[in-house]
Amino acid sequence: METLKYFLPQVWFVILALFLFLYVMLDGFDLGVGILSLTSSDEERRGILMTSLSNIWDANETWLVLMGGGLFGAFPLAYGTILNALYIPILVMVFGFIFRGVAFEFRELSRRKLFWNFAFGAGSFIAALGQGFALGAVLKGINVDETGHFIGSTWDWLSLPSVLVALTLIQGYVLIGSTYLVWKTTGELQETHYKTAKIAALTTLIGAIAITISTPIIYESARYRLFQQPLVYIFTLIPVLGVWLIWQLLQSLNRKEERAPFVWTILLFVLSFIGLGLIIFPYIIPTKITIYEASADPSSLVIMIIFIGFLIPVMLFYNLYQYIVFRGKVTGGGYEE
Amino acid sequence: MEFLSDSVVLSRMQFALTAIFHILWPVLTTGMGIYLVIVEGLWLKTRNPDYYLHARFWSKFYVLNFGIGVATGIPMEFQFGTNWAPFSEAVGNFFGSVIGFEASWAFMLEAAFLGIMLFGWERVNPAVHYLSTILVAVGANLSTLWILTANSWMQTPAGGEMVNGKFVVNDYFQAMFNPFMANSVLHMFFATLETSLFVIGGISAWYILQKRHPEFFAKSLKIVLAAAIAVAPLQIYIGHLSGEQVYHYQPTKLAAMEAQWESTPAGQPADWSLLAIPNEKAQKNDWEITIPNALGYILEFKQNLSEPVRGLKEWKPEDRPHLVGLIYYAFRVMIAIGFFFAGLMLLTTVQWLRGKLVAKNITQQRWLMLAWVFAAPLGYIAVESGWIVRCVGRQPWTLYGQIRTVDSASRLPASNVLTSLTAFAVVYSLLFIAAMYFGSRIIRRGPNLNLPIPGTEITKPAVDTTPGEFMPDERPVEAQQ
Repeated sequence: METLKYFLPQVWFVILALFLFLYVMLDGFDLGVGILSLTSSDEERRGILMTSLSNIWDANETWLVLMGGGLFGAFPLAYGTILNALYIPILVMVFGFIFRGVAFEFRELSRRKLFWNFAFGAGSFIAALGQGFALGAVLKGINVDETGHFIGSTWDWLSLPSVLVALTLIQGYVLIGSTYLVWKTTGELQETHYKTAKIAALTTLIGAIAITISTPIIYESARYRLFQQPLVYIFTLIPVLGVWLIWQLLQSLNRKEERAPFVWTILLFVLSFIGLGLIIFPYIIPTKITIYEASADPSSLVIMIIFIGFLIPVMLFYNLYQYIVFRGKVTGGGYEE
Repeated sequence: MEFLSDSVVLSRMQFALTAIFHILWPVLTTGMGIYLVIVEGLWLKTRNPDYYLHARFWSKFYVLNFGIGVATGIPMEFQFGTNWAPFSEAVGNFFGSVIGFEASWAFMLEAAFLGIMLFGWERVNPAVHYLSTILVAVGANLSTLWILTANSWMQTPAGGEMVNGKFVVNDYFQAMFNPFMANSVLHMFFATLETSLFVIGGISAWYILQKRHPEFFAKSLKIVLAAAIAVAPLQIYIGHLSGEQVYHYQPTKLAAMEAQWESTPAGQPADWSLLAIPNEKAQKNDWEITIPNALGYILEFKQNLSEPVRGLKEWKPEDRPHLVGLIYYAFRVMIAIGFFFAGLMLLTTVQWLRGKLVAKNITQQRWLMLAWVFAAPLGYIAVESGWIVRCVGRQPWTLYGQIRTVDSASRLPASNVLTSLTAFAVVYSLLFIAAMYFGSRIIRRGPNLNLPIPGTEITKPAVDTTPGEFMPDERPVEAQQ
């Protein structure tokens, strides 16, 4: 029983990390394309941008719903406390989702598309901003009492470090969005996104460096963890690998490769995610509440593994199948008959 | 305006508002998913192009409603954490898991195959396409299963007990198959199906009245009718069973539904109140029309009750639901609509049997078609009423008999909740207006009967079309499906 109490929360930590990673990667390029649509010069381009997402945006967003549901079931205390503390960023994100989600349908049916174009772009930006602030706030630490309940105030999530995290996350989304568009488009549009990818790669690098340097300086708790043996080697390796990946990414962009930039960017996301996971583990509310303290009963975790676990490969399969069905370049600006 | 500074009341209002708006969209997609499976199946079986064109036309409504359903549904999930953190923590063991099951079993399935269903006609073979359509419908209906399982458990919490303020589950299957579960799932399943059928029927009737493609839309009306013959009476029966369950498990809700203030002891006949003006302050009905002895027949099919019907006065005011008038009338509105649907179905079936629904004379059935148009929005009203009875009637509990609503809400500054509530009210109202506007635009545009049929070279119109303006499609081939 004692082993189960250690083992099961760890399993769920990994499953939720997987859901979150898939979300960040998939809806990341999705939101990135949305943010980039704000810079599109004309209607046709925006049309192509939205068409490139029309059949996948809701499946991508579902990974977040899945992450939310999993967190609720596996770590109910963390679910309540974190969402309670992040009331404003979460609502900002949710309203962003609402605008961009309905923009897909309404733009298609609308004669004057300007408003829905803007709703799509701005909604994507707002959703990303809310997520960035939420991530920043969780990393910085949530003010809780000894039972793990939120006791901070409404604006706790807003701080200089969380602004930095939010801006960097947005840059990361723009980067993966750009490389996705490089892959999915041709001609002038592709040229444009070779450029936006380069710019975003550099701004993401600057943000990542700033976060890497500031983390041990600002957060005492993280400092302790970062310089622990043997983790210190991993934490030294991660930024080095990160710089190497960005270098490879820039080179592949210079060589005008079509798929490689997207792959390099995904690897960059994987790397940041591993780093993040190592800093946070074994906490679910960093440095206050561990996954063991916040987890649901072992029997619940087992039931959830039975009901959700075996579906993970199935879900991965049919998502992949979707991408295979709609492989190839996007050319059309409209998607209904 | 005291409630403006009470974050519990504001959180309740916010949840109610988002739920009332959100449900409008999935109600249609869940039921319509099944309709789309039927028409696509008919197309594959008969190869009659009309059925294909029906699938394409109605799926436009599907995608519009699905998009808004997703957009308005995501806030629902997050609200459990943002506004109801103590509740989430207390019931996470069971309730949280079920919310997770909904996302993985239902939502992901629907989202992943929707793309293929909508845009994959030329990209996958017909069998795979049909499978996608089926999986989309299955996904949507599994959502009903999980959400209603979770909600039923809030009504009749089973399978465990409260220990130190947390619900500890002893038996998951008992919790899942709680006393309300099976009937609630069926009741909602039929509700989505019935609502969608009457929306599709109503829109079809509108075209028939306008004499636009009457032959084409007579087809969809008949499909709807064939389904309604089974669904409308069954729904009344399931509704009756649900009412009986409320009588046994939630006596406070039953008393509010029937505006019974005084108890009727077992062994005596009970009157059924048809219309009343309930007065909560005076704890009586100011005015009332009753049908003698009818409640006994409704609940137990006999005059004298074997169990007592307990009146509201038996509980302290803080232990019973408020807004008795709302619950009482919402219940009656739902029932009236259920019977109206069954009546309309019967009447139309009679006309069908008399041969009045064939293409050449269906346009003369003016009154019948008008009745169908009138019926189109009624399903929504019935669904909303039903949910009001279900959830307002559950008060003052979030988990019936176990966790009170006041103890379930996050401690938030009222100003935060007021701001978010206002934002939701404004945005959701705008969404509602936009959805109506764009929905009516789809209707006004009508079906495109010139679509090429997949797998055939035929480019001539499949059915007679009234010539409209010819608009050459100048978009790239990829976009012209």
